[in-house]
Amino acid sequence: MPKHPRWPIHLILIFVSALMLIPFIWVLKTSLSGENIFAYPPSIFPRNPHLFYYVDVWYAIPFFRYLVNSVIVSAVVVLANIFFNSMAGYALTRDFPAKKTMILLFLSCMMIPFQVTIIPAYLITKKLALLNSYLGMALPVCSTIICIFVFKASFEAIPKSLIDAARIDGLSEWKIVWRILLPLSKSAIATNVILAFIWSWNNFLWPLIIIRDQEMQTLPLGLSRFLTVVEDTTGALYAFCIMVLLPGLILFLLAQKEFIAGLTTGAAKG
Amino acid sequence: MKERFRSWLSNRYTITLGSMALLAALWNIYVAMNNDGIITGRVVDRNDQPVSGAIVVLSEKSLLVTASRAKTTTNTDGTFRFTGHHLYHIYLETYKEGVGRMPSKEFRLYFKGQNLFLKKPLVLADSR
Repeated sequence: MPKHPRWPIHLILIFVSALMLIPFIWVLKTSLSGENIFAYPPSIFPRNPHLFYYVDVWYAIPFFRYLVNSVIVSAVVVLANIFFNSMAGYALTRDFPAKKTMILLFLSCMMIPFQVTIIPAYLITKKLALLNSYLGMALPVCSTIICIFVFKASFEAIPKSLIDAARIDGLSEWKIVWRILLPLSKSAIATNVILAFIWSWNNFLWPLIIIRDQEMQTLPLGLSRFLTVVEDTTGALYAFCIMVLLPGLILFLLAQKEFIAGLTTGAAKG
Repeated sequence: MKERFRSWLSNRYTITLGSMALLAALWNIYVAMNNDGIITGRVVDRNDQPVSGAIVVLSEKSLLVTASRAKTTTNTDGTFRFTGHHLYHIYLETYKEGVGRMPSKEFRLYFKGQNLFLKKPLVLADSR
């Protein structure tokens, strides 16, 4: 028997969780009923719910086209992140001259906001002739420092003797990463997939700058276009938000166990 | 091999994404079977008697404007029929000189060209 009853903590946690969910429930409710936030008396459940606002969104703008664009860019970003971050993470687990300086450089780069580097990023993308393209949209988030450190922590948690044994067996560094380390780092991969997907999925500023063609726009740009096309659409606007949120939410719920494990790998020794 | 296939099939990713794909496929089949763009209904007067020769106007409501798209006249039994529409947010209005008028009534559809068979008749009530 525990010394103190646990139910008060659970009660508080349930209350806080419910509070956290209120904005989401509000968005969902408005998308189903179009009720104004100032409607009185306020209600938790929607009055006369229907799905017609979702139909409005589907037809008011080329939603499917935007969805396909977002999926393509996110897929490129996720694959590139796993590829580049795992290689960089492995490199940081090895000893080489100026390793600490390199890590410090990485950490300091994390402090620089993307808005500061946006002009050089634009000029580089232009030089590479990648403006108005999927690859151009994906390029700045093809590798992220946080995810490199997630891989580094995960690789460091794998016994060094395993890597030594693989090396004695004649495996190249490349094969050590792909055949030994990555299969043992599923939680790090899941973390990379979720973070890269969400960053790419929600990215607004970069696509806004480099995309000229309406056919190439992604969902966040579609949302801003939707706002310019439509004036009185509380319900449709919230329905759009739900439709944009849903893929990321599903992905997170599916991989949350590995995601949490990936973030806490290497947090405790032993 | 069989065991591997079974574990792949019972994987939560396969179940979730597979269910979504199945739902999307079923929905598309349903849409393909019900998107002939047919609207049928009946027009009656205040005494629930069918009205022949009443004009029924089909209008489209987009997010910005409402525009008239088609017009038809009721048969001797008061029924009317539109075919081949590609709309999803419509208004029906009907009137007949000397009998009455029914102001625009909103009908929302789940996809463009969805067949709509009105169960309740449109009633010509206002004689203005």
